[in-house]
Amino acid sequence: MNRLNRIVALCGGAVGFAGACIVAVLLVVTIFAPEIAPFDPLQVNIQNQLLEPGDTYWLGTDQSGRDILSRIVWGSRASLMVSAFAVIIGLAGGVPIGLVAGFYRGGWLEQAIMRVLEAVSAIPVLIWAIALVGILGVRNIDLGPITISNEAKLLALLGLLYIPTLARLTYTTALIESQANYVAARRLQGVTGARIMFSDVLPNCLSPVIVQATLLLAIGIIIEAAISFVGLGVQPPTPSWGNMLASARDYLLSGEWWLSVFPGAAISLTVIGFNLLGDGLRDRFDPRHTTAAGVAA
Amino acid sequence: MLVLFFRRAAFSAFSLLVVSLLLFVLTRSIPDSPARIVLGDQATEQQIAQFERDHGLDQPIIAQYLSWIGNLTLRGDLGRSFTTGLDMNKQVVDTLPVTLEIVAVAFVAATAASVMLGDRLCAVPRRRSRLLRAANGGDRSLCSRFWIALVLILAFAVERDWFPPGGFIPISQDLGGHVRSIALPSFCLSIFYMAVLTRMTRSSLLEVLGQDYMRTARATGLHPARVLLYALRNALVPVVTIAGVSFGHMFGWALIIEQIFSIDGLSRALLTAILRRDYAMVQAVVMIFTLVFVGANLLADLANGWLNPRLAAAAE
Repeated sequence: MNRLNRIVALCGGAVGFAGACIVAVLLVVTIFAPEIAPFDPLQVNIQNQLLEPGDTYWLGTDQSGRDILSRIVWGSRASLMVSAFAVIIGLAGGVPIGLVAGFYRGGWLEQAIMRVLEAVSAIPVLIWAIALVGILGVRNIDLGPITISNEAKLLALLGLLYIPTLARLTYTTALIESQANYVAARRLQGVTGARIMFSDVLPNCLSPVIVQATLLLAIGIIIEAAISFVGLGVQPPTPSWGNMLASARDYLLSGEWWLSVFPGAAISLTVIGFNLLGDGLRDRFDPRHTTAAGVAA
Repeated sequence: MLVLFFRRAAFSAFSLLVVSLLLFVLTRSIPDSPARIVLGDQATEQQIAQFERDHGLDQPIIAQYLSWIGNLTLRGDLGRSFTTGLDMNKQVVDTLPVTLEIVAVAFVAATAASVMLGDRLCAVPRRRSRLLRAANGGDRSLCSRFWIALVLILAFAVERDWFPPGGFIPISQDLGGHVRSIALPSFCLSIFYMAVLTRMTRSSLLEVLGQDYMRTARATGLHPARVLLYALRNALVPVVTIAGVSFGHMFGWALIIEQIFSIDGLSRALLTAILRRDYAMVQAVVMIFTLVFVGANLLADLANGWLNPRLAAAAE
């Protein structure tokens, strides 16, 4: 019981814990998709097309007779992979940039980096992402030995687009932290600047970054779904929640509601999970609320 | 105030410059050139060279950029698309008002609702505010606007025919039909921002109402409505900032909403351009989006300078 209490406290209370549970279930579903999905998500079966939810097909079948539950389970892979790797790229790029700009403040480098990042963040991530995917084209990019699939391209682009957000956040904290007394103390000990930056300032900047990263995970899922929805993301027949909704659009008017309701519910539940977890973590690690919750999408 | 204006305007201009440069370099550095797209794979080197000479694509990239930005800023001319040969100004004039109307209606609905609801919600006792907090995570799930749109179509256009399931009816054709055709799209766009802005108004207003000067205002026997008016003026500063950002974001999400409701707006023109690989048009539309975002943020900053003169004074 005591241990459970500690876990709940780590997630920032009951709200955060509820979010953590949803995220945990999602992770299990994503990792064990082959075991959990009752049918092959790509198996076309014309006889079974557009069946209502029932005993065999719990969530019904789509226009090609494919099991919707299995497609949702497999679709979680596309959504989560794009979203998670994008955040990793954003962290890897944004945190060092923000840290350097904040620690070596006052230089022209700081000014140049931060002004350009601010200018780039003038456009929402969604528009940048759609414009960039549009410019690069929807096809796979062939680079001789390696082919870059559309999903890989999407996650790389999203990751790049997260860099300004995360860099600016790290910058704000690093700016304050690098003026703290402990930094001066370390300098007097004769520790070099770069060393202080990474081993002393960086750990103290991470709390808001972790919180923001959790919220970006939710945003990434929405953006992936939105881009797949307009046909520029994950390409059929590979299932993703966004492209399932896109094909469901055509069956809305004829009353096949299960095609659109269930994938959409999966998106919403996932987003709620990450957001609740993010809110909880924010209360735990960032009580001053430096991270932007508002409209970052 | 003037200093604030020039500062913000200079920053806006800088944003526009960076974004336009980035876009320009990106669209010019993609592997398949417009000449290849238009003339096809069979075209000879000579034909391609001819095409590039005709459209000025053989110039150095910086010269191309300067002539493009010059035409855009001095004459407001987006030029003709290389790939489709269509006049891009006309395409924008045809589609922008539709998007602008939907977004504007959504924006007004979101801000009006947030100010009205936000001040009602201030009265919610602290005990129950935990429930409000839990709703925070929930209301952000409203982000999946495309799903909400689908469900609303299902409920109000398929099950009952209160609203048309899609399409856009111009105001000149049928006023009632026009209102009904933009009601659902605007609502889908605004609902998420309604939630965000309401929450912001509430927390900001609660903070201001707790200030000493508000107690003084009440103690002097001012009418409660007048007290609230003073409080709002102070509380709205963060709300206005977020509202400015929201306007730009709504423009972005209009892309998805227009796709769902089959409305021929600017966002849809962007998607069509992407599918046609009409990069000149992609560039033009994104540039217009940027203008709207930057403009909305600038207006929000100025509104804040007016709401709270201390902000304007701080800039000097």
